[in-house]
Parts: sequence; structure tokens; C-alpha cells
Amino acid sequence: MRQLRGPRVDIGGIIITIVLVGFALAVIVPLILPFFFVFKTRLEYSYNPWSLPKAIRWDNFIQAWKTVQIGRGMLNTVIVCLGAIACTVPPAAMAGYIFARYRSKVTEVFFYIILAGYFVPIQMVLLPLYKMSVSFHMADTLPGLFLPMAAFGISFWTMIYRSFFRSLPSELAEASRIDGAGHPGTFFRIMLPLAGPATVLAFLLVFIGAWSDYLLSLIMINSQSNFTMQLRVAQFLNAYGVDNMPRYSAAAIISAAPTVILYAIGHRWVLKGTLAGALKG
Amino acid sequence: MADLARAGVVLQRVKRRQKRDVGRVVFIALMLLPAIAALGVYMYYPIEQTFHLSFMRSAGLGEAAFNGLENYKFLFGNDEFRAGLLHVFLWAFWSVLIQLPLSFFVAFSLIAYRNKVTQPLRAIYFLANIMPSAITAMIGLFVFSNTNGVLAAFARKINWTWLGKIDFIGDPSLAFWAIFIVATWTYTGFPIVYLMARMEQIPMEIREAAELEGARGWRYAWHIILPMVAYPLRILAVLMTIGSLKLFDLPYLMTRGGPGDATKTLGIILYNQGFVNWQYGSAAAVGVVIFLCSLVFTIAQFSWQGRGDVE
Repeated sequence: MRQLRGPRVDIGGIIITIVLVGFALAVIVPLILPFFFVFKTRLEYSYNPWSLPKAIRWDNFIQAWKTVQIGRGMLNTVIVCLGAIACTVPPAAMAGYIFARYRSKVTEVFFYIILAGYFVPIQMVLLPLYKMSVSFHMADTLPGLFLPMAAFGISFWTMIYRSFFRSLPSELAEASRIDGAGHPGTFFRIMLPLAGPATVLAFLLVFIGAWSDYLLSLIMINSQSNFTMQLRVAQFLNAYGVDNMPRYSAAAIISAAPTVILYAIGHRWVLKGTLAGALKG
Repeated sequence: MADLARAGVVLQRVKRRQKRDVGRVVFIALMLLPAIAALGVYMYYPIEQTFHLSFMRSAGLGEAAFNGLENYKFLFGNDEFRAGLLHVFLWAFWSVLIQLPLSFFVAFSLIAYRNKVTQPLRAIYFLANIMPSAITAMIGLFVFSNTNGVLAAFARKINWTWLGKIDFIGDPSLAFWAIFIVATWTYTGFPIVYLMARMEQIPMEIREAAELEGARGWRYAWHIILPMVAYPLRILAVLMTIGSLKLFDLPYLMTRGGPGDATKTLGIILYNQGFVNWQYGSAAAVGVVIFLCSLVFTIAQFSWQGRGDVE
């Protein structure tokens, strides 16, 4: 077959490659747009939106930092992210381990209770969540935000940990049990360290998810001093619309930077099959 | 004597085993407790509460009176809610019709035509997926706004006045599509990565056998690969449908559901009813509609799964 085709110039392959590169550009160019505007003054922007900036001005970053109070928002967001990680990953790892290694009829029932949670839309329970956080005296506090956020992440990560622990050879756990380690010892000293890759992935994705959350933050947080980054950015969008693009770009770049950096470091883990394994359930 | 000693040892062992078994049960219970407690408090109890609220006449945080199905009657007689329901199902329909084939095409091409150029593209496709919606919505407005937007500026530059005149955000018939384009740009990364992972799991022998048979390119995609990923495609279709039931961030941030009701979604209606108008009863009823629809699609997915497909 190949010889009949003559020299290996694969026209189809070239066309497909061009199309794929085109798609990739379509994804990435809008993300680069803010950099076109961020170094310009408003006047320069409205006359020459497309030209390269005349000078690199950091003004917009400074203004965005001050007027949008991004610093405070960033601190709040970091607290929310860490809280979400602390309340999502350990319960999920523990439950996932039980579902992988101590299977019985009873644990299967609990597994399905937790699995079902993956399909519950958070939109449905926003009202009771808000009412509850009022009665727990957690309305408009950061724990009032990250606790429900974590609860809604536990199902997914329990499934990941379950499939991860199942993929580890069972001889390891047995050997450790024969050596006299108890159930907790086996889990904390042997199995949990082996689940390192799953834990790294969980830290990374829970962080990115909590960092990007908008809806739950909108409901749970009311006062400016507790606003997360995304609320600040959205507030800025409402206040100025697209009329002050250069400054807005600065706010956007600052608020997206951490996720992009994390993704740049960790995209191999994020993409390598783990996502796929997860949804298998 | 020896027998007795042996019996003693066995007895001790059994005792230890029993003790260990109690420890085992305690261990299992303690390990499951945090996850179960979190879901009980923050998911299952609120679900019950939502159902409860949806049968109540309630405004604000005050006590409520039983109201029967009045909230549901109100919703289904309400133009805004019917518009929201319609948008949600249109959104699901177009997602499955446009985003799903697109992601299949991209995923298949990335695998079948792997070379130095296409290799790193997967990471790029996923990039928009991890962006906060406050940013993707903003970029959407950047592009489509007709006063200062990128498209408008571009139109001015090359003197395409017709393009500059189109108001993608302000025109009720176009706003839905402007948001849909932004959503396609943001959300398609996940189905692509997911499908690629599933295609890579297809055994090499099948792919090689197909190639020996002379199946290449699109015939190969259609006859060999498509049936192999039929199940993941259905999962994605269900996830997209549930996603459109939950849709909130992008339309809320870009248009607030407007102009008029043109981009209202169930999520936006729930938010407005519950947290702007403080009509808890009807907001909870919207929540129940979202929940029941997702439930139907989820159960549909699991019953499909039962039909002995290749996983």
C-alpha cells in the first residue's frame, strides 16, 4: 500500500495538522488578548488597540491592584483554596481506601451513596446551604464557603482514590499487616505515601477549582473584605464593563496567573489518563 | 499436653482475630465518617430541605406555610421560567450536536495524525478549560462587545461596517450564540482530553488489524474508532446535558440573562428568585426541577451502561 502512494507526503495529514493548529490558535489567541491592551493607556488603547504598546507601563497593574483590591481578594482566595484542599482530600483518600481494600456489602452501599453525590448539581441546594450557613453563624465567612465546596468535591476524589488504591498490588498491604502493622498503620505509613500521584493531582485540581469558583462565592460571601478574587474581578467587570479594558486586562492577568502557572507545571499529571480513569467510576 | 498447648495457641489466635475484627470495623467506620458526614450535612440534608421548601410559601428567612404545588404552578405559568427551560434544552441540544462531534474530530485527529506539531496541542486545548469563568466571560465580552470589542475594532480597521454594526451581546437573537461560542471555546477541552484517553485505551491489535485491512482516515474513524468510544460519547452527552441544566456563570456574567429573557437559564432564575427577590419557595422549586432532570439523565446513563457495551 505504502509504496503505491509514492513518496510519503501525506496531504491529509498536513491538512489535518493545519486545522488542528488553527483550533489551538483559536483557543490561545483570546487568552493572549489582554496582553495586547494591558500596557496601554485608555487613550492609546482606543486609538490603536492592535498596535504594540508604545512603552511598557505597569500602571494598569498597580491601579488594578489598588482599585480592585486584588491583594485582599487573593489572600481570601488562597485561604479558600487551602481550606478546600484540607477538607476534600483527606476524607476522599480515607473513604477511597476503604472502598478499594475493605469491600463488603455494607461498604458498597456507602460507596453508592458517595458516588451519587457526584451527580448532584450544587445549584439545587444553594438555598438550604445559605440558610444553614446562617444558622451555623458561618454566613459571609471563608469556612462557610470552602466547607460546602469541599463536600461537593469529595465524591469525585473518592472515586479517583478508589481506583488508584485498587491499582496498587495488594501484596504490599498484606506484607505490612503480617509485619504487625495495624489497619491505620498500613494505611498511613504504607498505602497513603504510595498514593502520592493521586494526592498531587487532587491538590492541583482542587486548588484550581476553588480558585476559579464563582457561583458559590457569589452566594456565600457578601462583604467586600471577604470577597474572593473572582468576585472582585466580576465586580470590576460590572462596574466598568469593557470600557476600561487596559485596567481590566491587568486584573484578569493577575487573577488568572496562579492557575495558569500551576497548569503549566502540572499539566502532564492533569492530562495523563487520570481524568479518564476517574470517570469510569 | 502438646495438644492442649496447641489448642491454647489456636484459641489465642482466634481471640486475637476477633479483637482485630472489632478493630477493623471501627477502622472502617472512622475512615468513612468524614466523607459521609460531609455529604450528609452539605448535600443530602440540603436536598431534603429543597424539596421541603419547594412546597412552602416563603419569602425571606421567616417561617413558611404549606403551599402545595402552587410554586410549581407559578413556575410553569411563568414566561421567564419557560424561556429558561427552553434555553437549557436548546443549549444541551446544540452542545451535543456541535461540541461532541468537534471533540471527536479533534481527539481522533490528534491520535491518528500524531506528529511533532500536533503532539503538544492537547495541553493547549485544555488550557481554556481551567480558566476561571469570570475571566472567560470577560474575554467573551472583549471579543463581542460592539462598543469597544475586538471584533468591532477589527471591523473598523478593515472597514467592514456591517460587522461593526452587529451587536452580539445586545441583540436577543444573537446573545445566546455569543455565549455558546464562548462556552464551546472554554468547555470543549475536557471532552477532547477524555476522548483521547479513551481512544488510547483501544487495544493496539484492533488498530493494527484495521490498518492492515486498509482502513485509514475517516473510514477508519467512522467504522472502527467511533463504535469503540460509543460509551464515552454517551457519557459526555449526559454530562453536557447536566452541564446545561447547571449553566450559570457565563450567561450571568456576560448578559445577566438578558437582553430580556434571551439568555436566562434555570441557574440564573434560581439565583434571581432565591437571592434577589427572596422568593425561597419558587427558587427551591427551580432547584427541584434541575435536580429531577439531572436525575433522569443520570439514570438513563446508568441503564445504558447496563446494556453490555464495551467499556
